[in-house]
Amino acid sequence: MKVIQQIVKHPWVKTLASVKITVVCLFLLFILTFWGTVAQVEQGLYAAQERFFASLIFLAKGFIPFPGAQLVLWVLAVNLLCVTMTRFVHYFKVRYAGILIIHFGLLLYLLSAFVIFHVAVESNIHLKEKAGTNVSSSYMLWELASWQQGAPDRRTVHAYDVSASTVGRHLKYSHGNFTVTTQQFYPNAQAYSASSDHQSKSAPLNASGIALLQPKEAVLEREKNIAGGLFEVHVPDGSTVSLLLYGADTRPTPVKIKGKNYYFILQHKKYPLPLTLQLLDFRAQFHPGTETAKSYESTVKITHDGASREVVISMNNPLTYKDYTFFQASYALDAFGNEYSTFAVVKNAGRFLPYVSSLMTFLGLGIHFLMAAFGVRNKKDKRT
Amino acid sequence: MMRWICLLMFVLSFHGVVIAQQKPATEGVIHPQEIESYRMIERLPVLDNGRIKPLDTYARSTLLQFSGRQSYNRKPAIVWLVRLLFAPDETKSSKIFLINHPSIARSLGIASEPHRRYSFQQLEPALDKFSELAHSANEVPEKERDVVEAELIRVFNNVRMYIDLSHVFQFAFPAKDFVITDPALKSQLGLAPEQEKFSFLEIALSADQLKTFMEAIQRKDQSQWSTQERTVIDLVSNLFQWSGVYQNLPLNIVPDPGQAGVWRSPWDAIRQDFQKDQTRSKMKALGKMIESYWDGDQITFDLNTKLFLEETKKNSGMNAEKLMKHLDLELTYNKGDFFLYAKILYLVAFILFLLSLAVEKSWMYPAAFGCIALGLFPHVIAIALRVIILERPPVSSLYETFIFVSFVIVVIGVLIEVATRRWLGIVTASVGGFIVLMIAAKYSAEGDTLKMLIAVLNSNFWLSTHVISITAGYGSACAAGILGHVYLLQVVCNKGKEVLQSTYRTLLGVLGLGLTLTFLGTNLGGIWADQSWGRFWGWDPKENGALMIVLWIAMLFHAKIALWIKETGMAVGAVLGTIVVVWAWFGVNLLSIGLHSYGFTSGVATGTAVYVSFELIFLLTVLILINRKKSGAKFIKPYA
Repeated sequence: MKVIQQIVKHPWVKTLASVKITVVCLFLLFILTFWGTVAQVEQGLYAAQERFFASLIFLAKGFIPFPGAQLVLWVLAVNLLCVTMTRFVHYFKVRYAGILIIHFGLLLYLLSAFVIFHVAVESNIHLKEKAGTNVSSSYMLWELASWQQGAPDRRTVHAYDVSASTVGRHLKYSHGNFTVTTQQFYPNAQAYSASSDHQSKSAPLNASGIALLQPKEAVLEREKNIAGGLFEVHVPDGSTVSLLLYGADTRPTPVKIKGKNYYFILQHKKYPLPLTLQLLDFRAQFHPGTETAKSYESTVKITHDGASREVVISMNNPLTYKDYTFFQASYALDAFGNEYSTFAVVKNAGRFLPYVSSLMTFLGLGIHFLMAAFGVRNKKDKRT
Repeated sequence: MMRWICLLMFVLSFHGVVIAQQKPATEGVIHPQEIESYRMIERLPVLDNGRIKPLDTYARSTLLQFSGRQSYNRKPAIVWLVRLLFAPDETKSSKIFLINHPSIARSLGIASEPHRRYSFQQLEPALDKFSELAHSANEVPEKERDVVEAELIRVFNNVRMYIDLSHVFQFAFPAKDFVITDPALKSQLGLAPEQEKFSFLEIALSADQLKTFMEAIQRKDQSQWSTQERTVIDLVSNLFQWSGVYQNLPLNIVPDPGQAGVWRSPWDAIRQDFQKDQTRSKMKALGKMIESYWDGDQITFDLNTKLFLEETKKNSGMNAEKLMKHLDLELTYNKGDFFLYAKILYLVAFILFLLSLAVEKSWMYPAAFGCIALGLFPHVIAIALRVIILERPPVSSLYETFIFVSFVIVVIGVLIEVATRRWLGIVTASVGGFIVLMIAAKYSAEGDTLKMLIAVLNSNFWLSTHVISITAGYGSACAAGILGHVYLLQVVCNKGKEVLQSTYRTLLGVLGLGLTLTFLGTNLGGIWADQSWGRFWGWDPKENGALMIVLWIAMLFHAKIALWIKETGMAVGAVLGTIVVVWAWFGVNLLSIGLHSYGFTSGVATGTAVYVSFELIFLLTVLILINRKKSGAKFIKPYA
């Protein structure tokens, strides 16, 4: 208690508890929200989100520093914490019960934002009917995966995340005792193949005959970018092999090292799932006589801990398992009439937090609002 | 779109043939007698835009789409539609094509009309040029089209739709292609001996006999064919050609007896199921309807409409009772003009308020309050009818947000009035209710407002609570904005301190309500998004819009605590708050990005800009006046 008294009286805390800071922060957030919305037209959702909301500070017009939403929210959190300690707790009155609950709710709100910002991972699964998987893919991150040729029904894959920032770094793959360096990495690229008579022996290896990668400007919907890169495999005996890998290329490139075949592929980063998911059937329903979808649903078989069951995942009816939630996101048909279903996968341990904090804040608002409304009436009654 | 244009090109290439064939029905000076009552036919169910609706709604939305009006020549849309369907030539001179841009008429070589509405007759000679222009406009990517290009395509599609609709019942009109002079052949085919010119339908109904003839003819050499046999060959090849030409036409009024949920236009039904007795009897009934329409025989017309309707009910694959109940409710909704009555009553209440400023009479206050309360009735009935017809919560489309927000503002106004009894609530309700319903009416000019939803928006607890609370939040914030205007005007008009205090307290209360509801709505939206997409918050434009309202109101309340603003500042903030609401509500749709980018209308940008400028000018003027008064007061004080 004494400690709290001391903290509360500390001049810094008093300054930080100023409501003027709150007003400025709310105004800045207001501006940032507007700016970040309009900027989405030009920059796309992801880039705008990074620049305006996830950043601590960014440069407007290239040179004017402007606080990002993350910084403002940090200041607001500190401000809120100080206010809660100095004003509300210290001078508690029943009249302020609503206000107190609102601000505790908001503190929890900021906490949940922090937790989710750091723990939530979004990925997806794209499955053909009857196919199954136990991994999900990232929308934007890429990995260089490698495995040794072995049993056809089972493979142990070793992978490192690769991006423009891993260029030059040595990535050590323990299963084959070799290292790989990224020579060049393009976040979005176009692949070209060379005709067979032009192919020289010194050209980097590629299983699909890709001979050239040309960087392209990254598109606004980041998940549509297809990365490509030039990689170099260093074998302990000193020899090196160059690989030209492209994200849309589904054929792994084999490299013979010490008489063993190792496969390499550049693919969207994979996340292991705690279950195996198999798509049994996909159905789309349309409003009669139109091409407007009424509902999509997938019947899937999930297997975990040796047990399996069938589940239907549809729009607004996701499957939740542990910290994972699987949503019906999209579907596709290929030229042969095969149906594909896409599920968005979200791993979020803090999922329940916003529910609690928003409920709490709303209750506080409701209590305060009703108390104020009836309070006004009482005063008036007293007057008359 | 391309498909439409290709189809039109295709139909147009037969246009010469078709118009020629159409002639016989209306040749010379014969005009249809028409019928008196459309009570029966307006109930006919049509599948359109994913929903089964009465023909009346179809007629209204089609005419609205063509001409921007729901009636033609002071007669309901259904009269015009039935005429177009049953006696197409009679509508050729009706000026129903609204062309908003005069330059289009000019480039088509048509004298521009004062009311911007043109008839098919006027457009017909320029159709080739029109098609060429629309085709080129269609080449321009949708986002880069300017107003004229978009208008070209819109009007051209309407003309195409008009031509299609005029062909829907072509099968029942006597045509040159089906002329039989040989009495023996007529009697063998079971056709009326006194008639020479027959319809596609009449000939098709004797298809069995024709088939027997054809089998005999096929066994003969071409040189041995008799005149009668040549006629038969002509008839059969014309039947074949016609059923090839008339495909994919609009007006799906024939349910497929085999497949639930599949409805076809009459021509497609003929091609698919003509061998079925049900289809034949339906087509016969349609043929009789057209005949009796021309004869002005109401009883036969109604009787055959009823027969057709009964057959339709049997084959619809749905609960016929429920279907008809819904259709009748929709007719009530269409004819009720509920929102019009609500608007008029709100307007009257406001006029009474203005009058009361000049001459205060004791009856004015109860009369105005009564108008608001009475106006709420049709308002609520219309919303309830929509909920029943569409079987979904009251707010799902942009149009519905307008009618719901106006409803919320009126309810808040009534509550304020009950609590304060100073005209304040009446002003809020009448201004808010009237203006927002006017915007709704403007928005409904795009066609049928009872729309189906895309999969992700389909009924869900979180979604419905989210949109209801968020729109209620919009409504409260708008009401607070109106109160802000009132407060500022009261300050300018030197109202007493007590009046100002009362308005200010109400303003704070309504603003608080707005904050609470918008916060609730935003969070329910978050919960829904989390349930549907796995993320509570995604910085989507519409989410951001709602957040901006919350941030703005929260900022106002904190600025008040910080003593940065006082009463006037709060009122100004509430007025500016309406701009934030307008931005969140439909301004973000202008960006046409994100998950909520539904319901984009081209006029929104101009409307929003006009509104924002109006508010800014209002605030500037009022603040200057208030400031002048303050400094004036300071100036006078020493001498007082």
